[in-house]
Amino acid sequence: MRGVDERELLFRRLSAALGRHGGPAGAPSPMGPAPPPAGESDRIARFAQALAAVGGVVLSGTPEEALPELGEALRAQGVTALFFPQGDAGARQVAEALIPFGPFTLTTGEEVRGGDPAATAGFRTAEAGIAETGTVVESSRGGGTLLPGLLSDVHVALLPSASVVERMDEAFALFAGDPPRNISLVSGPSKTADIEQTLTVGAHGPKKIIVLLV
Amino acid sequence: MQPTAHLFPRNAQKALADKTLQAALGRATGRFLHHRAEAVAAFPGFEEARERASEVKRQTLARLDQHLGRFIEEASRRGAVVHVARDAAQAREIAARIAKEEGVALAVKSKSMAAEEVSLNVALQEAGVEVVESDLGEYIIQLAGEPPSHIIAPAVHKTREEISRLFERELGEPPTDSIPALVAMARRHLRAKFLGAGMGVSGANFLVADTGSVVLVTNEGNGRMGTVLPRVHLAVAGIEKVIPGMADLPTFLRLLPRSASGQPLSSYVSILTGTRREGDAEGPERMHILLLDCGRSAILEGKYREVLKCIRCGACLNSCPVYQSVGGHAYGWVYSGPIGAVLTPLLVGLPEAAPLPDASTLCGACGDVCPVKIPLPDFLLELRSDLRSQGLKTPGEIAGMKGYAGVMKRAGLLEALERVAGLLAQFFTKGKPVEGLPYPFSGWTERRDFPAAAAQPFRKQWKNRRGAQG
Repeated sequence: MRGVDERELLFRRLSAALGRHGGPAGAPSPMGPAPPPAGESDRIARFAQALAAVGGVVLSGTPEEALPELGEALRAQGVTALFFPQGDAGARQVAEALIPFGPFTLTTGEEVRGGDPAATAGFRTAEAGIAETGTVVESSRGGGTLLPGLLSDVHVALLPSASVVERMDEAFALFAGDPPRNISLVSGPSKTADIEQTLTVGAHGPKKIIVLLV
Repeated sequence: MQPTAHLFPRNAQKALADKTLQAALGRATGRFLHHRAEAVAAFPGFEEARERASEVKRQTLARLDQHLGRFIEEASRRGAVVHVARDAAQAREIAARIAKEEGVALAVKSKSMAAEEVSLNVALQEAGVEVVESDLGEYIIQLAGEPPSHIIAPAVHKTREEISRLFERELGEPPTDSIPALVAMARRHLRAKFLGAGMGVSGANFLVADTGSVVLVTNEGNGRMGTVLPRVHLAVAGIEKVIPGMADLPTFLRLLPRSASGQPLSSYVSILTGTRREGDAEGPERMHILLLDCGRSAILEGKYREVLKCIRCGACLNSCPVYQSVGGHAYGWVYSGPIGAVLTPLLVGLPEAAPLPDASTLCGACGDVCPVKIPLPDFLLELRSDLRSQGLKTPGEIAGMKGYAGVMKRAGLLEALERVAGLLAQFFTKGKPVEGLPYPFSGWTERRDFPAAAAQPFRKQWKNRRGAQG
């Protein structure tokens, strides 16, 4: 196949450019640790602060306490349908408990992917939070779906407090060795400033991200 | 993309006369600079991260063959098909072949400078594929039938009224003067494209050697849509994008968004590794990674190697007084601003891009903001020197420089000429600035006045002053 030849030619050009041939393979990561984080005060508070700074909302307390506020936030965004991954019991529980705070109906990721035009909220349990940047980490590991944070108008991420780490490095370490197909870092809503340099949310994905600390 | 960098002087004049562009440019670059400065001030580790990123890139480039080899091995092991293109023509050929073999009719594309460099759209369209730009600004430009610009704010010259008329004509949408309404219309039309596309085309902000991962950073989330929903994912990247391991990624992610737009982190970062696995809920069944040499291995060999450290943040553009005045299109190719003035001559050839190294005041701002510490001002000077030593100079320049050197070597001659100039200035302009010089110096005074020579040379004035004080 031609591609293989081209690859070999490229490596010949590279060795020539670097003025050597062969040498030890698999050079290790060249540097030591990253810059230190800011002071070691309350990680959850820092996470909430960083997420709020990029327009995200953090709700804490028991789900029962958070439900009225969450319902109101979803109604304010015009949400009429809720969906969650089939195997995500936590997300299912919250979405189902929200129905009385609607008018909300339940839908599925497949429906939304099929082009259902309803304004939706997508629920999912996140795998980690990063305090440094107010980031929610969701991946395709173990059959996890990204659709709730991708196709919805509002994304509601359920985040166990214990899963909030201080820095990006720690979050990446969770996937060390064999990363899944997709690790998605979400830090705020989908946004654009492409028209008259005016910041507008909901370019392609969620207009709002709400993190429910559990 | 066909370079027109040799037309820089003409393109720059056009840009300077364009009132809408001037207003938009001033606002955009000012906004970016302000946000960047705030973000850097709020992050005490910035300088340390810069140092580290520069060193990681430097060391990676010194062993690029090994890191790239590792990347190819790891990506292939996880189901990706890795292709290598020597030049733009070969890249187009490979992309067209991929589209045909995968049976793609519709492709959604997110912004990629590398794809633009090789005119990937053209190749896909010639292969019968409908290619939809999914970055909002690029989408607008594409609907308007203008060529893609791939600068930070591609539709910066269009007002909401123009965009509304465009959406009315091309998409059948009702007129509106609301920006959120326009964004919502584009979202709806592009959503249908994302759901129907057979292939998502992306660039890569980083390639991780350790794991064979492609890293994408976006705010709109279009890159994410196009790499989750379609059956095929094609990532296009220059070979210099590789970093050794996932452990190096945080440093670069701390620098890139802060330098680009002043954000601590962009809304979305996707780390994409291989094809969908067994039991995965979604993701592409096929992944192709197209690696571009296109002149990079030649750069690696020479004195400009460090330009390959670039992570395409655009900070040098916003900080450059020339870019602030003429914008991105004037540079006549994919890359603009100081990085374009260095990279374009190296990638397309110095003769084609001869005016670009001169499109700089050498103020040094680009070097100060570069998150990976590329010595851009040094490189601009070095390229000017290369240009002259390659004989790309005008007879006027040669004569002028020889004459200048001849005078500067003789203090007496200099002083005599200064006295003559002083007399002439008194006689012709009464000491006021000269508004028009005769040919061949007329170029100098076309756009600005030439300061009149003083009646007495500086050294004479200095002596008199000291005498008066002493």
